Amino acid sequence: MLNPNLFPFLLGLAAFLFTVGAMGVLIRRNPIVVFMCIELMLNAANVALVAYGRFLNSEEGQIFAFMVIVVAAAEVVVGLALITQIFRLGRELDVDDLSEMKE
Amino acid sequence: MTVIFAVVIALAAVSALGVVLSRQTIYSALSLVLTVTMLAVLFLLLNAQFLFAVQLIIYAGAVMVLFVFIVALLSPDAEDRPTLDLRAVIGILGVVVVTALVFIAARNGITYSTSGFHGVAVGAASNPYHTFNFPQDAVNNAGNVQTVAGQLFTNYLLPFEITSMLLLVAAIGAVYLTRRSSP
Repeated sequence: MLNPNLFPFLLGLAAFLFTVGAMGVLIRRNPIVVFMCIELMLNAANVALVAYGRFLNSEEGQIFAFMVIVVAAAEVVVGLALITQIFRLGRELDVDDLSEMKE
Repeated sequence: MTVIFAVVIALAAVSALGVVLSRQTIYSALSLVLTVTMLAVLFLLLNAQFLFAVQLIIYAGAVMVLFVFIVALLSPDAEDRPTLDLRAVIGILGVVVVTALVFIAARNGITYSTSGFHGVAVGAASNPYHTFNFPQDAVNNAGNVQTVAGQLFTNYLLPFEITSMLLLVAAIGAVYLTRRSSP
């Protein structure tokens, strides 16, 4: 059996990865990096799910993490297609400049 | 074992910071490759062999290749070093406070405790029609892929099928968005 004292570190890592990803979404302006930060946040959720599943002897966490990975892959495909389309329109890659949908 | 865990957790945390703080986009992408690889190793250490393989194949393989490909294709300029404005201060405060709070909560057994609720109760309550009667500890033994597949193709078959619809929609959306002549 795994040492139960390890669990706080795993959950702390998940919280750290999630908040670092959220900070990256806040402070970075390149949309590609913003997408990478979203990947970071999804991965943080996976760490928490797998850690809980491991310590509660349940496989449901792993199944949910698998679904999260699939959703992340689909999201990356659509997001990067959007970014290439923005680039093709001759726009600068900066999320602060993309504000057409504001009004 | 504990040493491996410490190294993996530290490397994952440091490379996650590298994703956010690198000025060059390609360095962010390579840092993210290191992060997802370290998380794959973490999954292996936590006895999630199936997720280890999936993480390596889908994330470190497919998704990151797509990212690096797009970065090479668009070759964005290096950003200025992020200034310490209000957004950055709020972000750093959020990282420190939330991580510390979650760690302390988990340390004091608020989020999980060995005596509070048991895996058996959780598994039985969430799964009344358990067709695959694996012993509860089987998840953490060698046959992990078998137990996960048993659950995935019985109790979670509908979400699994909906996933295929999601992938189809994503593929159609990507093709539609990257057409040459936009309407």
